[in-house]
Amino acid sequence: MTTYKQVFVHGLWKDLPPFRLVLGLCPALAVTASAVNGLGMGLSVIFVLVFSNMFISMLRRIIPDKVRIASYIVVIATLVVLVEMLLKAFFFPLSQQLGIYIPLIVVNCIILGRAEAFASRNPVLLSMIDGFSVGAGFTISLTILGSLREILGAGCWFGRSIAWEGFEPFTFMVKAPGAFICLGILLGAMNLYSRKRGETFIQT
Amino acid sequence: MREIIRLALVLTLICAISAAALTIARNRLGPRIEKQNDFYVRGPALSRLFGQPAQELLDQKISFTVEEDVYPIFYIQEDGRITGLAVEAAGEGGYGGPVTVMIGLDLDRKEALGLEIILHNETPGLGSQIEKSGFRNQWKGLSIAEPADLRSQGGQIDAISGATYSSKAVMTGTNRIISLISHHREEILAEIRETEKEP
Repeated sequence: MTTYKQVFVHGLWKDLPPFRLVLGLCPALAVTASAVNGLGMGLSVIFVLVFSNMFISMLRRIIPDKVRIASYIVVIATLVVLVEMLLKAFFFPLSQQLGIYIPLIVVNCIILGRAEAFASRNPVLLSMIDGFSVGAGFTISLTILGSLREILGAGCWFGRSIAWEGFEPFTFMVKAPGAFICLGILLGAMNLYSRKRGETFIQT
Repeated sequence: MREIIRLALVLTLICAISAAALTIARNRLGPRIEKQNDFYVRGPALSRLFGQPAQELLDQKISFTVEEDVYPIFYIQEDGRITGLAVEAAGEGGYGGPVTVMIGLDLDRKEALGLEIILHNETPGLGSQIEKSGFRNQWKGLSIAEPADLRSQGGQIDAISGATYSSKAVMTGTNRIISLISHHREEILAEIRETEKEP
């Protein structure tokens, strides 16, 4: 039986998206050109994940098996449109920066994945904690990836310049290929660390 | 049979609740989003068209209605005369829906001051290039005495290659504005003077 603590912690390392739980790679690559964008996207995903897990868990005995995917998608899409409206109303510049990647949260496989794998067969509070855990892990991953790319590629962190005289920005890092490479480096570093500690880990 | 009814019922219920939630959210947040849009999008656009700070320009606005279409119109004055307008209109036919454009007009010279894109849903990297100044600069000095057109149709505006629908939508919006001005210029000016009179 999984305890509350296990559920709370699993998304933060053991099933860390997108490195261990290999889902949500598209936004992970696309919005991490700066740390604040990564953070903003991560927080939006937490919002959608917690509430989608909550609603789907609440409805888990009511939704018939044959229409479950369709139902999940309606719930998720509604939440994403809500997030989009909230962002536009309260954080307009961030919403412009994140652009189409906010509506694309609907097809972020993490959300549907957790709905199917956890929320549809677990009680409400546990599902919400799972959503928060996986979302928080995603946020941390995105913020670190974004920070790495922003510092190397633009000499800034959260918009503040941290460069010194003669620092040449490695612009490659804020473009698409740099994203792949940064992701790969972080993934390799994580795996190396886990192997050294003797952890057995799986990437799904 | 019972199963199919249950499937349909549950799905319909979920969709109905979703629609209700979104409508309520839209009603509550709509005005606030408009204000943000004004501050971050319209303001800078007006600033670029007229070369004046955005804050005052945003207040100088009327909503002009023709049949069922509402056109936001901003104006600038010099020595008590209305010298310039910025008209916002939607041009249908874009790849992702209508493109909302704003055209600054020099009333004395009867030409356009420039084009700003206010809202669009075009493909990033392709249709979204209508935002580029290279494309929009073509509107500087464009005569508003007659309808404008793309070069492929005999006019003077170069479309963006690979973004035909987007370019056409911008043209449609432009011509709507040109047509509005040529038919309703005096009414618009009169309505602005009315608004100015109110304390």
